[in-house]
Amino acid sequence: MKIKLLKSLVVIGAFLCFGFIQAQEVTGTVSDVNGPLPGASVLVKGTTTGTQTDFDGNFTLNADSDATLVFSYIGFLTQEIAVNGQSTINVVLQEDAQALEEVVVVGYGSQAKKEITSAVTSVGEEEFNKGVVNDPASLLQGKVAGLSIYNKGGNPNEDPVVRLRGISTIGANSEPLVIVDGVVGASLNNVDPNDIASINVLKDGSAAAIYGTRGSSGVILVTTKTGGAGGTSVDYNGQFSLASPARLLPVMSGDEFAAAGGVDLGSRTDWLDLVTITAATKINNVAVSGGDGNSNFRVSANFREAQGILYNSGFKQYNTRANFSTRTFNDKLRIDFDASYTKRNSNFSFTEGLRYGLLYNPTAPVLGADSPFQFDSETYGGYFETLGLFDSFNPVSIVQQGTNQGSKDEFTYSANFKYNLTDAWDLTALFSQQSSKILNSGYAPTTLLYLGNASSPTRKGLAQLYTEERNFKLFELYTSYNTSIGESTNLSLTGGYSWQQQNQFDYFLSAGGFPNNKLQYLNALEWSTDLDNAGFANYGSNNWPNDRIIAFFGRASATINNAIFVNASLRREGSSRFGEGNKWGLFPSVGVGVDLNQYLELNNVNLFKVRLGYGVTGALPPTFGLSQPQYQDDGSRLSAVPSLEPNPDLKWEEKAETNLGIEFATNRFSGTLDLYTRDVSDFILLATIETSQSVTGANQQYQNAGKLQTKGLELSLNYDVVKQDNLSYNTGLNFTTYKSTLKEFITPQEMRANLGSPGQNSTEMIRVKVGEEIGQIWGPVFTGEVVDGSQVLADVNGDGTLNTGQDQALAEDGDFAILGNGIPDFELGWSNQLTIGRFDVNAFFRGAFGHSLVNTFRAFYEPRVGSQGSYNFVNTKYADPSITNAQFSSLYVEKADFFKLDNLTIGYNFDIGENKYIKGVRLNVSGQNLFTITGYTGADPEPQLVDIGENTGGAFNALGSDPLAPGIDRRNNYFSARTYAVGLNINF
Amino acid sequence: MKNIRNVIMMCAGLLFSSSCTNLDENLLGSPAEPFVSDIPSAAFEGGGAGPGDALAPAYSQFRNAGNANHGGYWSIQSVSSDEMAVTQKGGDWYDGGIWIDMHRHTFGPASGPVDSAWNQQYTAIAACNDLLAGGLDANGEAQIRALRAYLYYRLMDLYGRVKIVTSPGDNPPQATRQQVFDFVESELLDVLGITAVSSSMDLSGSALGTDKNPYRINLFAALGILSKVYLNAEVYTGTGRYQEAADAASYVIDQGGYILCDDSNCIKPNPGKRPAVDSDPENLTGYATVFAPNNQDSPEIIWSVAYDGVSAAGMNFNMMSLHYSSQFTWNFDSQPWNGYSALEDFYNSYQDGDARKEINFLVGPQLDYGGSAILDYAATDGELELDYTPDINELEPNASRKGGARLNKFSHRLFERNEMDNDMPIIRLGDLYLIRAEGMARAAGDWNMAAPDVNTIRARANLGPLSPLNEDTFLAERGREMFQEAVRRQDLIRFGKFDDPWWEKTNNDAHKALFPIPQPQIDASNGTLTQNPGY
Repeated sequence: MKIKLLKSLVVIGAFLCFGFIQAQEVTGTVSDVNGPLPGASVLVKGTTTGTQTDFDGNFTLNADSDATLVFSYIGFLTQEIAVNGQSTINVVLQEDAQALEEVVVVGYGSQAKKEITSAVTSVGEEEFNKGVVNDPASLLQGKVAGLSIYNKGGNPNEDPVVRLRGISTIGANSEPLVIVDGVVGASLNNVDPNDIASINVLKDGSAAAIYGTRGSSGVILVTTKTGGAGGTSVDYNGQFSLASPARLLPVMSGDEFAAAGGVDLGSRTDWLDLVTITAATKINNVAVSGGDGNSNFRVSANFREAQGILYNSGFKQYNTRANFSTRTFNDKLRIDFDASYTKRNSNFSFTEGLRYGLLYNPTAPVLGADSPFQFDSETYGGYFETLGLFDSFNPVSIVQQGTNQGSKDEFTYSANFKYNLTDAWDLTALFSQQSSKILNSGYAPTTLLYLGNASSPTRKGLAQLYTEERNFKLFELYTSYNTSIGESTNLSLTGGYSWQQQNQFDYFLSAGGFPNNKLQYLNALEWSTDLDNAGFANYGSNNWPNDRIIAFFGRASATINNAIFVNASLRREGSSRFGEGNKWGLFPSVGVGVDLNQYLELNNVNLFKVRLGYGVTGALPPTFGLSQPQYQDDGSRLSAVPSLEPNPDLKWEEKAETNLGIEFATNRFSGTLDLYTRDVSDFILLATIETSQSVTGANQQYQNAGKLQTKGLELSLNYDVVKQDNLSYNTGLNFTTYKSTLKEFITPQEMRANLGSPGQNSTEMIRVKVGEEIGQIWGPVFTGEVVDGSQVLADVNGDGTLNTGQDQALAEDGDFAILGNGIPDFELGWSNQLTIGRFDVNAFFRGAFGHSLVNTFRAFYEPRVGSQGSYNFVNTKYADPSITNAQFSSLYVEKADFFKLDNLTIGYNFDIGENKYIKGVRLNVSGQNLFTITGYTGADPEPQLVDIGENTGGAFNALGSDPLAPGIDRRNNYFSARTYAVGLNINF
Repeated sequence: MKNIRNVIMMCAGLLFSSSCTNLDENLLGSPAEPFVSDIPSAAFEGGGAGPGDALAPAYSQFRNAGNANHGGYWSIQSVSSDEMAVTQKGGDWYDGGIWIDMHRHTFGPASGPVDSAWNQQYTAIAACNDLLAGGLDANGEAQIRALRAYLYYRLMDLYGRVKIVTSPGDNPPQATRQQVFDFVESELLDVLGITAVSSSMDLSGSALGTDKNPYRINLFAALGILSKVYLNAEVYTGTGRYQEAADAASYVIDQGGYILCDDSNCIKPNPGKRPAVDSDPENLTGYATVFAPNNQDSPEIIWSVAYDGVSAAGMNFNMMSLHYSSQFTWNFDSQPWNGYSALEDFYNSYQDGDARKEINFLVGPQLDYGGSAILDYAATDGELELDYTPDINELEPNASRKGGARLNKFSHRLFERNEMDNDMPIIRLGDLYLIRAEGMARAAGDWNMAAPDVNTIRARANLGPLSPLNEDTFLAERGREMFQEAVRRQDLIRFGKFDDPWWEKTNNDAHKALFPIPQPQIDASNGTLTQNPGY
């Protein structure tokens, strides 16, 4: 990534006297040693008058005869030339050696790339994922070694799971810390992907330690686009795409189902076809940017209208962002002001529509009128329902009758003041505020069986509301000082203070019992008969305490002989979430880098750097109030009963990470290798306590529960295969592998992740064991033999007795085994960029290998369970019709290695010649998720890095997630889509 | 430079002022200590959640102690006995085999329900200890000590060796079963104001008093607990205390003023009467009223747990036992789960004409609210009508969805929610009659001593005297009376029948008479808890 450092103009005390000055036309050519420079900026000094050179480097503008012209271009030294009455001025710009050196944004400042001693990856706009990208994280999917981004199924209303170097924390927040234009902890949802100039990922502890507590899961630094000097330009991007389900789990057709002994209800219905659509997405972005030598601005508006492949799901989003920057007080003060606002209206629909779409009896009719027996259609809004069956609902009725929507408003602004006390010493103050509001509402009408209880004679219909208001304030003050020690050593010092506070207020209510469907539920809560019947209406409220993080930090960087680089930082940070005496933690880091090429002077080698970093970061507990006793209503409003055993001794979870990196580059080839080991100690987890020792009687408590070690390797390679004027081909590969091992834990081993209802509760599928890898899927082993409808399970330990009951899972004589691991052995990203004349082609392939998934759809619905004959049967290649009852085993655990063409984009830059209004036009077509090679029979072989739990319950999105239980493909996952898009970019 | 100095001074001032390092956490939404509402429950008139007095925190945690719901205390006491089972119905109710293991006595220390039952009792004990540490009046203290003793009696019964924690934060060593017995006995005697139970004891010194509030412990309730402790004392300690069991029960029967409900003295409107179904009686009488949704003022109940569909959750027999489609019988608010059913042999131990047979079970074809037959479209045998059969084809894996008589003793009201309104009796007069009968018989070594009381119980079920009267027939009679009240496991152990085979249970490991100490508790105890023998 390159950041153009705005060169300030020195204001000379010349006062213009308009009466005597004659305006005149000046023409000329701007070139470098190789020839003309198109797009160079020419500015009349002290004014906003300016222009850009055309394709041949020519310019024309009007200037006063005594004016001074400022010529600038990225990567070149700015030149000033007095007009002095000349009508032709030709300029040859000199390359700026310093500016060409990449500058990388790091915590509280930026550094030249070569000075960095930690694992930092920069991804610029040109490397971002192409096609339809609705969230910023997805721009990076597969692009950064060590950064795993998965939105399993691709539900447009869900944020992807982002994990850096695997599991970095367990009980705490495992999403990386996001910093948008210096605002620590900013919301990524309030940034439109089109407004992002670059993203830096701080991967290791030595880079992240300056951010202290929240740096454990890595840091993602987002830099948004800003205006450039020289005239105003307008950029338009438009995109239209169509998506359809890419892979679906095979189920039986109506005929197959009837033949397999299913109850034939007379119709033949393809339920999945009825609940999915070809989803259209429209994206329009307009950005206006400009500036002069002192100030610049960029304002953008982004409109997105996205449909999901699930009927009636999707969102409409409007986002605007304004970035403004100026210098004043003799250029000593620089002010940056950014503001952004996002409004999103979502239709979540019901992912249960997909689940029941798979499972509903394929011989059932859609409408009650087509029922094979007498059926009271009116009660169910005209739809058919299989009454009296457990967990069986007409999916078309759900998605067509039900409402599940939400709106979200996010507003962020930040003001950054940087004052240069001297040339070497500056002071920065940053203030930022973010506020967000959520209003989610759902309604199951009186005629909907699912949630709406349509079969009830008394209480039909259910309305649910959730609203949340969140405020975040950040204030930071820091100072930097640069100096030299002797001739060969440069020293840079930074120190500061950071204060942030988060507040949240939320409440929810649900009420049912509506008279009919003639009312709009949001307008008619007063009709709920719950007002007459105690105990049905449900509501609650929650107001956070002031949730604060306060820190003091400092960093010293030294450059010796321009070849040896040393960085050290220290952060002392406190959080209100801990008890007295445990609030503060200390997080140090140190890193050393050596540019070996300065000594070896290898031929044709531009870079050969070795670096070693060590850093300690922390992790906050997942919520507040854990050190204090908390009580809740006993359900009768008579007394308060404990909700959680407090832990006043809870202390910071710490992650110590050592990273060794090697960077190598020639003119055409570059590569980076990182090796790391990280120890997460005192990780915070909700743990079972000895109930008799609980003061409150609650049997769970947040504890510093153990130690986790991850070792990993990341390799990135990039090669310019062809590099000619009209033909270029670049290919890049990144490779990631890691293993996480549990080193210490509160118990020697335990089981997690319940399979769930119906029939498979108390069936936990993941073993967590000291000394073993994270992510072990653990269960009985199917021998392949079926007797009397039951799987014959293996006597794993060969002791002659079969102990496969779930309560024997961890017993010494239990017959359980490792059935797979939810975490991939390695992940690959392979990018290809081909340019032929005005055409460019981007192809990006991605894969993950070695991981397994529990295919829960199969575990529940592949057995030909007689007594549930009204469900459809999953019918993959593994289906064995002789199995007639459900039992979790190795049969339902599948290898899920995959390799896919994630994205293929073909673009064309039109030759528009010398057009007065339009500077450039580009058209592109792209396809996403074009093919996937995998043996997995489920809908999506992507790894499931955290367990999302059994069920969403329908109304609102899922609750917590468990990073100790990866590898479970749950029934409420969305189905992945294949997308074709066409995009247009016009630059005015 | 002056500006610079000012800026620096300002910053320094900012940083070192205390507000800039203030990390206090003042929780807004939840109280920092337990408290009792200032407004007593308005719902108390109809049962509700019981009184909102100073003791409510402990009694409400006791309500959560798994007395009448799925997955904890009630479930392990019941499913490990020959009363009932949770069968695997193909894709439903396998649940990792835990209920199959419970039936077959092949459960182990990792069993989830065994862990839940432990936690449920200790959570309630913690609430007792917390209240006692805060100071109560004499009656309150006596009640909470009695409640705590009852909870330890349950732990002694289930696990034997447990820690006797009597104040918050205590960590005593794991006690022997004898020590727990001694503690429970001495606590109960102490709150009764006596040193021993006898036929001539004087309870005038007890702070418990004789007020009749079914949701609070009076001296009759404490005596009832003690009679149960003594009845099983030989199992717990090796020493029989049968005479004391009989004396304690006798005192309540003779002095308590409680009434054994029969068809003439207990008549209540039937809350489950479907207007369109003529066979539904208008009124419930006798035995049925003791367990009905409107049983809050049953004169037979000495001490019960308040359950209420609105304000006191914790009784879910409707959901646990009935078929999905039985929702339409009474038009329940939600769909039942089709889990628990009575074992065929147990059902058949009732003779025809035994009033309790119809009351305790639901069998036969089922009618919906409007009186039409209920259909089960998923039926694979071609019989669409929902018809509960007493026989069950198998325990697993493909048990019939309609197999087994359903639990119906705690009967239903129309439009019932998944939380039932029925209160759960802990001490009731009918039980005490049988305890006195058995105590006297065992003390004398003569089962004929049991005849008067056991025949009183049979008479109100419209049955003649028990004949022959012996250990086995007495056990069977007690089983019929106490079905679904979570005492069957205890009774089988006391009668030496817990190792016997029944239905699909063949395991005869003697150590299964004690549940294992839950493995998660051992793991969390730093070696201070050790496992029971045999596990």
